[in-house]
Amino acid sequence: MADGKKKIYIVEDDEFLRSLNAKKLEGEGYEVVVAVDGPSAITGIPEAAPDLVFLDLLLPGGKDGFDVLTSIKADEKTKNIPVIVFSNLGQTEDIEKARKLGAIDFLVKANFTLDDVVLKIKDILK
Amino acid sequence: MLPALSFAFITEPGFMIVFVIFFVLAYCLGYYWQSRHSRVSLLIEEANFKTDQIAKLEKVNKTLEDTNRQLYAKELELTMANTHLASLEQAKSKFISVTTHQLRTPLAAVKWTLDMAAKGDLGVVDEEQKKFLNKGLESINRVISIVNDLLKVDSINTDKDDYQFKALDILKLLEDVFFEFNNQAISKKISLIIEKPDKGVPLVEVDDDKIRMVLENLIDNAIKYTPDGGKVTVRLSDSKLNSAVPALEISVIDSGIGISPEDSGKIFHKFFRAANAIKKEPDGSGLGLFIAHDIIEKHGGVVWFESHPGDGTTFFFTLPLHQKKV
Repeated sequence: MADGKKKIYIVEDDEFLRSLNAKKLEGEGYEVVVAVDGPSAITGIPEAAPDLVFLDLLLPGGKDGFDVLTSIKADEKTKNIPVIVFSNLGQTEDIEKARKLGAIDFLVKANFTLDDVVLKIKDILK
Repeated sequence: MLPALSFAFITEPGFMIVFVIFFVLAYCLGYYWQSRHSRVSLLIEEANFKTDQIAKLEKVNKTLEDTNRQLYAKELELTMANTHLASLEQAKSKFISVTTHQLRTPLAAVKWTLDMAAKGDLGVVDEEQKKFLNKGLESINRVISIVNDLLKVDSINTDKDDYQFKALDILKLLEDVFFEFNNQAISKKISLIIEKPDKGVPLVEVDDDKIRMVLENLIDNAIKYTPDGGKVTVRLSDSKLNSAVPALEISVIDSGIGISPEDSGKIFHKFFRAANAIKKEPDGSGLGLFIAHDIIEKHGGVVWFESHPGDGTTFFFTLPLHQKKV
């Protein structure tokens, strides 16, 4: 944030998707920090203090996306960071649960291109 | 001696009287005997009749008992079959949700890769390469939409009890859905327009996920079946707000291929796809309108359309403002 760049935190366990996402966002001028599982995200997000979080739901490490979301929203320092849940589950219950836990949006990865994702980010961060 | 005796017999008044009394008595006795006999035989006849009746009833009873036993056995069979079906349904549901997730992850990866490559994010590409990459992207998007349809079909096997009605700002939902289709519309140079009354529309009590599906389906169809450069308008109308059952009327208007009169009756049938639709879009499940129709009905609304082949189609549906509390 010191150099004016917005920081995006990506929590995604699939290596390829993660690298594509990071590549796109860095290309758009964002600073990108990543976590590959639940526990790392829970400790990493308060540390990194990002401007926005992309959160996958199915994560290894014993804590899933919902756990990470709950933890972020419970922490004074991080509860106001917008969180977009980015997943390939799309069941109504999941979307509802994510909204209730404080996610600002829910995107099914397969239904959006990375350009759409960038548009969303620009929209939320403006 | 004898003749003298008989004469004397007849002429003796005493004997005459006895004789008459005897005669009368004999007659009465005979009559009485006769009637008793016939009464008895009547009784016997009645008894026989009743015995026959009882025998017939017992026969009918036995038949009923047999039928009952068979029905009971059938009921047991059906209950078992039903339980089996329910558990199959559950297993199928789980299979579909797990599989769709497994499929979606690599599909997303391919989609993003092709998209980025086509846009030059992975290195400079010439027009020819761009064309091929976009074709690949189209194919992948088709597979993704079939996977999405599978999920949707699975989710419509829900009872009305699973619907959760909440007051919704339909305009906001519509804008969300338009955002989803923005890219598709842009790539076909189709304008997406929302028309609404100046004073806006009230909140409407709906299951927002299900109504989202309806809007997605109608708008997806409108875009799919409209040639490049066309127009898709969604109009919110307050014309039915003052009717007996206040409702919002929503119409999705396109400038596309239209629906022929022969196909009109089958448009909402499961798996039906009109010939001109298949020609324009070879892939499609034929489930979208079936699902949309089901959802709108469960909201107590009505869905219909007006169309002329080659002249565009307008799909209308109504949503009652309020749902009855069960």
